[in-house]
Amino acid sequence: MSSYPTTMPPTRPEVSSGVSTGAEAGWRQIAASPDHKVISLVLLTTAFGSLFLAALELLLLRVQLAVPENVFLSAVTFDRLLSVYGETAIFLFALPLCIGLFYYVVPLMVGARGTALPRVGQTGLWLFLFGGIVLYASFLFTPPEAGINPLPPLSELTFTPNNGVDVWIASTGMIVLGLLLLSIDLLTTIYNLRAPGMAWRRAPIFVWAAAIVTWLMLFVAPVFLAALTMLMIDRKLGGTFFAGGAGGAPLLWQHMSYIFFTASYMIIASSILAAISEIIQTFTRRQVLNRKVVIASMAAIAVLGTLAWTQNMITAPLPSGWKYFAMLMSISLIVPFGLIFYNLIATISASDFHMRAPLRYAMGALSLASIGLAAEVAQSTIAVGTQLQHTYDAWAATHFALIGFALFGGLAAVSYWYPKMTGRMLNEDRAKISFGVMLAGTLIALLPLFGAGVEGQVTDSYRYVSGQGYDLFNLTSTIGTLILFVGVVMAVGNLIKSRTEGAVAPPDPWRGDSLEWLALSPPVGHNFDVLPDVRGTQPMRDIRDALARLDAEAGAKADEPQSVA
Amino acid sequence: MSLFIALAGFLTGMGAFAGSAMAFSLNPDAGSPGIEKVNTFHWIIFIVIVIAIVVINLAILRAARPRTRHVKTGDSSSTGSQLKVGIGLGVVALAIFVTATVFSDQSRVVPVSTETVAGMSESKQLEITTTGSQWLWRFEYPNGAFTYHRLVVPAGVTVALELMSSDVIHGWNVPSLTGKADAVPGQSNWVYFRADEEGVHSGRASILSGQGYDTMEAMVEVVSPADYESFIQQQKRDIQEAQDTVEKQGAPDAGAPVTDNSPAAVEANKQDELEATAKKEDQ
Repeated sequence: MSSYPTTMPPTRPEVSSGVSTGAEAGWRQIAASPDHKVISLVLLTTAFGSLFLAALELLLLRVQLAVPENVFLSAVTFDRLLSVYGETAIFLFALPLCIGLFYYVVPLMVGARGTALPRVGQTGLWLFLFGGIVLYASFLFTPPEAGINPLPPLSELTFTPNNGVDVWIASTGMIVLGLLLLSIDLLTTIYNLRAPGMAWRRAPIFVWAAAIVTWLMLFVAPVFLAALTMLMIDRKLGGTFFAGGAGGAPLLWQHMSYIFFTASYMIIASSILAAISEIIQTFTRRQVLNRKVVIASMAAIAVLGTLAWTQNMITAPLPSGWKYFAMLMSISLIVPFGLIFYNLIATISASDFHMRAPLRYAMGALSLASIGLAAEVAQSTIAVGTQLQHTYDAWAATHFALIGFALFGGLAAVSYWYPKMTGRMLNEDRAKISFGVMLAGTLIALLPLFGAGVEGQVTDSYRYVSGQGYDLFNLTSTIGTLILFVGVVMAVGNLIKSRTEGAVAPPDPWRGDSLEWLALSPPVGHNFDVLPDVRGTQPMRDIRDALARLDAEAGAKADEPQSVA
Repeated sequence: MSLFIALAGFLTGMGAFAGSAMAFSLNPDAGSPGIEKVNTFHWIIFIVIVIAIVVINLAILRAARPRTRHVKTGDSSSTGSQLKVGIGLGVVALAIFVTATVFSDQSRVVPVSTETVAGMSESKQLEITTTGSQWLWRFEYPNGAFTYHRLVVPAGVTVALELMSSDVIHGWNVPSLTGKADAVPGQSNWVYFRADEEGVHSGRASILSGQGYDTMEAMVEVVSPADYESFIQQQKRDIQEAQDTVEKQGAPDAGAPVTDNSPAAVEANKQDELEATAKKEDQ
């Protein structure tokens, strides 16, 4: 790949022309641009910046818990770091990563020249950014301190009189509203701007996942925004929506917020599994086995997973019917997840493939997520759930699944589309090393926590006394988190360095089958000069074949060879 | 190749983890029949999960093995039948899970008392009102006695804890007797258990409830029915004594500190001290 010259003329003038955007744009152009590529690059950059912050915060939390009775952090500092860590990892890293990937790739995949409602998307980006700024600006005043999910009445004015919870509400609200607007834009684009011939049955798996995820977002984000508004009314206007014993229902918040949190989990899982499907298709040169089953399983995950929200409330005073329903829904998730895992692994097994950075990250993602998802099943059953919920066993399960999907899967997706987004190739060697370090770090950091959870260590507590059987587990986990942090720094550093040092990428470096590889790397502002005519599920392969045929015919007519790509 | 090594290392790690997990079970000192059932179920599910994880990761390992041989494309009839087998196994596993789970939910099962003590309700249960507040548990027994932090229950009697909260949500958590249940303000959550052997069980509160959360602990002491009744009588006498002292000093309007040495007052004082130290530490 390094043989490409640094300045490359448009390779296929019949397909695409003009100068590429991106690298040279100043901040004014970036700030004012409603272009989906610029917007999602800002989203993804913020996401990976937040990944670094989240890893740092996790490391600080783990250092405090490394030894019993540690005095590194005070109770209030620990609670604040914990609350900010939770919001950073979910709302500033995982969710914008998924939405950002969709927002960049999906319009290209469906052969659109832009999104349908670019100003709505731009508004979404700015709301999201302000949300992040509000959260981190709170370090100058009072950061939130009521926990990863600030449960009322603790988050009510009576028990947390400072402004930390208000910051949490305001920033989370802006972020979720922003992501909702981006989802609306994306969904409208998928419905209205598909290229001629791109029927739903021909749409790539990633486009299907985008439609599923944005529909889910339309259902769950308003519920969560309503809950945030109600909590804000409680705190600022003397409302009693969630006040305990004063006409309020503290459990109402849990229902509304857990609907969103559970759906977010499923959004992250479906998006990343779809991205991994695309990666596997490209590197194995064949379609994913049982394509329709995989797509239907993603829809099933979105529905069943969201309906299982009360599995987070197994210990709450709820009628047992709710708990059994949630348990049934969570256990049913084995089927769609199993089908996707089965088909993805079978696709790789049944074919020849080239092991590159995206595929390597993707395999790591599947491996780690399998541990997390299996452990989640244990906790979704009522009997074991009443023992293991709120312990480090639950923490480890969630972290395995989300680190697997969002960190490894996110890096897989970003390294796969990196040449398209930046016009440069990602450094393979550095990616390989960072993969190994992160994999080792994750396993060392999280496997011992299963032991600590079974021994009964509860989460969210800033210290513990020794002699309860989990001192060694905690120390090992802290060492692992340090390794994980080093790996994250290496991976993010690789993304930054390859931006300027990587080999210049051709438009179609992996020989992919979907339409984003038709555009230049990075694509021009309007994506395509010619709207392609889609005739199947692998439009780019059709185009390559057609070009080769034309080439052969031309070669046969005139004796002198003509090169096309 | 590095992926291969990493995953092989991971599998070794999993094996080591499974081996070390054999050394401890969920609640080795299970104090009630319900929790013993939960332990058994946890073992079933633990083994199923470890097998599932190992199988999936072996498949990933096998798929990720670098190979130069060109695999012929096209025909996928064999994978189709494998898929059917996979779906079949998934459904069977699902059925096992659901059945096993329904039968091992201890929260639905109300055990029957085998002993009798004074103050039991008509349904042969000892109902104890348990109120969580920042950051202690208060237990009110049927005949007027109360304690803080420490719950004393008779062995062989069905205990029904009515969990309530006076401020924020608190997580009741005594793993070896009851498992977890939330105390939510404005609502009651019921926990039933019967401890068959005398002993002490303890557990840390499990839901973040503010800055003194890490000090919030509940201790359950299981004693013989006779010891239980004498404890309740003693506790009632002590409380009465403490109240008399307060009345003599005219405390209701003065707010003077209570300086007697009865256990109830001592426990209340201990709580004040705890709160004071917690506040000090925060500053």
